[in-house]
Amino acid sequence: MTALSADNLSVQRGGATLLDGLSLSLGPTGSVAVIGPNGAGKSTLLKVLAGIESPTGGRVLLGDRDLATLRHSMRARSIGFVPQHFDPHWDLSVAELVRLGAERGERVPQGALDAAIAAFELAGLGPRRWSTLSGGERARVLLATVLVVDPPVLLADEPAASLDIRHRLDVVQALAARGRKRLSVVVVHDLDLAFAYFDRVVLVDGGRIAADAAVADLIGDPCLDAAFGVRFERLRTDDGWLLRARRA
Amino acid sequence: MTAWLRMVVVLLLAMMVGISAGHGWASPADVLRAVAGDPSLGSRLLVEWRIPRVLAAALVGALLGLGGTVFQGVFRNPLAEPYLLGSAGGAALGATVALLVPLAVPQPLLLPVLAFAGAWGATLLVIGISRVSGAVDAAGMLLAGVAVAAILGALRSFLMLALSDETISLQIVLSWVLGGVQTPSWPMLGLLAAITAACVGLTLLIAGRLDILGLGETMATSFGLNVHRFIMVAVLAGSVVVAAAIAFGGLVAFVGLAAPHIARWLVGPLHKPLLPASALVGAIVVTLGDAISRSALPPAEIPLGLVTAVAGGPFFIVLLARRLRK
Repeated sequence: MTALSADNLSVQRGGATLLDGLSLSLGPTGSVAVIGPNGAGKSTLLKVLAGIESPTGGRVLLGDRDLATLRHSMRARSIGFVPQHFDPHWDLSVAELVRLGAERGERVPQGALDAAIAAFELAGLGPRRWSTLSGGERARVLLATVLVVDPPVLLADEPAASLDIRHRLDVVQALAARGRKRLSVVVVHDLDLAFAYFDRVVLVDGGRIAADAAVADLIGDPCLDAAFGVRFERLRTDDGWLLRARRA
Repeated sequence: MTAWLRMVVVLLLAMMVGISAGHGWASPADVLRAVAGDPSLGSRLLVEWRIPRVLAAALVGALLGLGGTVFQGVFRNPLAEPYLLGSAGGAALGATVALLVPLAVPQPLLLPVLAFAGAWGATLLVIGISRVSGAVDAAGMLLAGVAVAAILGALRSFLMLALSDETISLQIVLSWVLGGVQTPSWPMLGLLAAITAACVGLTLLIAGRLDILGLGETMATSFGLNVHRFIMVAVLAGSVVVAAAIAFGGLVAFVGLAAPHIARWLVGPLHKPLLPASALVGAIVVTLGDAISRSALPPAEIPLGLVTAVAGGPFFIVLLARRLRK
C-alpha cells in the first residue's frame, strides 16, 4: 500500500526542465531522505508532492486519489509541508502560530494544541513573538505548527539547513523518527545525516531519480559519486558510514 | 479587554470634542440640551449639522481603517495603503465628472455614487489587467495599479481643463480631492452606518484567511488556501470598503495606512481582533481630524485630507525609519 505516489511527473518552467518523467512510490510509513546536487529538482519534487505546485505532466496520488482534484482542506490535513524558509509576515506569537496550524484541521482534538506545544518543548514560549525567537526555537515552532494536526504524510524541505549542528541533529532526528508511524520525506543536504537516520534514500539528479534504495544498498553505489560530481571515500564507522568527498 | 475599553472611551471623547468643535464652540451642556430636543436655532444646528457630520466622520474613519487593514493583509506589507490599486484615481475621476458635467441627477446623490463607481471600477480594471497579463500576484497588481492610476489621473486633468470655464470653478473639484466629510442627512447617515456595519461583517469573513496568507504563499498553499483566488476575493472586498469610504469622505490621506499600525500595537496582528480595532482607531483619527479641519481656521474649513496628511506624514516617516532600522 502506498500513501503518496508520483506518476511520471514532469515540470517545465521558463524553458527549463525541472522534473523529467519522475515516478516514485512512498509507503504509508517510513523515513525517506531525498538527496541530490543543487538544482537537481529536490525542492520542486517536494512542492509538487505537497500539491503546492502543479506538475506540467503526470500526477500525484494521495492514497488512490489524484491530488489535483482533492479538496484543498483535505490535502492540508493529510500532507504537512515544512518549507525551506519560513518567515511569517506578521509578528505572531508562538501560541497564535500553532493555533493557525491547528485550525486547518477540521476537528482538532482539544488536547492536540497542548500536545504539540509540549512535544516540541514550547511550553514556556507561548506568548513570545516570532521575531524574538532563536533559530532553534523557530525550527521547533515551525514543526509544531505543521505537525499539530498529525498529518499522515510529512514533507520537509531542508528544514534544518540554517541551524547549528546540535539543533540540526534534533530536527532531522525528530523528522526521521516520525517515519516509524507515519510517512516522513525529508530533503537533506547533509549526506551523513541522510545515511545515519533514514531507512531509505532517494537520489535525485537532473529531474529524475538516479537511485532509490535502502541505505545499505545505496552507500556503495557509484551513481552517488556521479550525481554529485565528486569522488566519495566511504569510511566504515561503528554505527554506519561516513562519506568524505574528494575532487573527482 | 482594557485595550478595547480604552479605544471605545477615546472614540467617545473624540466625538464629544468633535461635536463641541466648530466655528462656534458648544459646551457639553449645549450638546445635551440640543439632543434633548431644545428648539433654539443653536441646538437645531447642532442636531441637524454637527452631530451627523461627526458621526459620518467616525464611520468614514472606520471604513478607512478596515480597508487599510485588508490591503496590508493582502499585500503582506505594512506600508501598503488602500489607495494603491487605482481606487483614488478612479474615485477622483468619478467625482470630477459629478462636479463638472451637468447631469440630470442631483449632485448630492451623484457625487457619492460616481465616486464609489470610479473607485471600485478602477480596482476591477487593475485586477482585470493583471489577470489578462497573467500576473495575478501582489507585484503584478501593484504595477497594474500604478499604470491605471497614471491613466486615470491624466484623464481627470484633461476633464478639468476641458470643462472648467468662468462659471465652473475648479476649486470644488480640488477641495473634494483633498478630502472632507460631507454633512449627511440623517437618512444618508443611516445608509452609511448600515454600509459600515456590512463592511465590518464582510471583512471579518476573510480575517482567518488573511492570517493564513500572512504565513507566506507557500505555507498558505500547504494549509489549503487557494492563494491567487483569495487575493482576488480579498482585494475586491477591500476595495468595496475603500470605495464606500471615498464616496462619503473624499480622499482622506494616511488614515488607511496609519490606523492598522496603531491597532496592531494595541491588539496584535491577528486579523479577527485587528479589523475591528483598526476601525475604532480610524474612527478616532478621522473624528479628531475633522474637528481640527472645522475649527482651526474659522470661518474657513481646512480640507480633512490636508489635516490627516500633515499629521500622517511625520507618522509615516517615523514608521519607515523604524522599519529600515530593523
